[in-house]
Amino acid sequence: MKDKLKAAFDQVQAEEALKEKTRAYLADHAQNRTPARKHPVARRLVPAAACLVLVLLGGNWLYFTPTATISVDINPSLELAVNRFDKVLSVNGYNQDGQALADTLDCTFASYTEVVDAILADEQVAALLSDNGVLTITVVGDNETQSARLLSGVESCTAGQKNAYCYCAHGEEMEHAHQAGLSYGKYQAYLELQALDPTVTPEQVQGMTMREIRERISTLSGASSGSETSTSSGSAHHSQTENEHGHNGRHQGND
Amino acid sequence: MRSEQEVNRAIERYGDTVRRLCMIHLKNHADTEDIFQTVFLKYLLSTVSFETQEHEKAWLIRVTINACKDLLKSFFRSRTVSLDTLLDQPAAMAPEHREVLEAVLALPQKYRDVVYLHYYEDYTAPEIGRILGKNVNTIYTLLTRAKKLLRETLGGDDDEG
Repeated sequence: MKDKLKAAFDQVQAEEALKEKTRAYLADHAQNRTPARKHPVARRLVPAAACLVLVLLGGNWLYFTPTATISVDINPSLELAVNRFDKVLSVNGYNQDGQALADTLDCTFASYTEVVDAILADEQVAALLSDNGVLTITVVGDNETQSARLLSGVESCTAGQKNAYCYCAHGEEMEHAHQAGLSYGKYQAYLELQALDPTVTPEQVQGMTMREIRERISTLSGASSGSETSTSSGSAHHSQTENEHGHNGRHQGND
Repeated sequence: MRSEQEVNRAIERYGDTVRRLCMIHLKNHADTEDIFQTVFLKYLLSTVSFETQEHEKAWLIRVTINACKDLLKSFFRSRTVSLDTLLDQPAAMAPEHREVLEAVLALPQKYRDVVYLHYYEDYTAPEIGRILGKNVNTIYTLLTRAKKLLRETLGGDDDEG
């Protein structure tokens, strides 16, 4: 059988025409194929790279979008931009002292409590506070839960301070405050002052300490109906009652 | 990538083998041409360095068989075909040879490779097992059964192999 098979298969050979065609085909295709090979490897990475970019962008947006602002005012006016994870993204000063203080703080990825503590520990701030300066901290955000959380956080930070006021407010007023070039806390005080003294300008207020503003307010409002509670701007509500220097107009109903 | 010279030499040396493998796998001449070209293109572009000619031949055989299988898998084709479509000039072949080849083609696919590689190319069963990626015992079984089938078809000549 073997011989038969051998003989039979011997009849089958690669025809010259076939070989010729193949040689021509190879001459044609030899160049094209090798470069084409390169593509698949690079191509395969493109979707992976695209996914990576999307994830990075998403993460970027998630982490780096500020969802709340903590406005700190004594004399130095600062605003901390806080993200959804309660981490401080940036610190901006709203007056000269504030700017100087902001520059000294290193708060990248720090939690807001750390930064508030750092501010309180700063020499200048400590000096002002022990000198009876008034510290106002305002938490501004559109997310109720976060705002409440931040508020209780700053309250515990300032628990030791007797002249500290903490407030909570909504975002729209921030816009106005920034337009006036003031941090929110100061802006609130400015609005109160303006209600009593329409001539006052944001620039004047910018350089004043919170204490000075408070004193102006109390002077202007005198002994009459204390409008220390800022009902005019509507959405600010106090969460803490602290003793102010001699002014107990709050609990007195307006006459 | 290999040189034109190397490829031409390979075509001369192994062209017949590739052609025969195509014949036992494929249904028509157009496919044969297709596979023939594919196999030598792969040879041209491959980076495998062959230790011996046997190594080279075994590689080509494997590539050819795989290429044929891939082609057949890729679409429905008629399973029965006569010798005429497989060879350029079937008329030139003597009847007894045609008979033998047709007998081989009538075998189920899995026997054909083994029959060709053993009886024509003189590979041993272990070598065939290596080339086809099959267990050597399987190869022995396939050979035995193929031999039996061929004997039935071609008449009971004593086999020398």
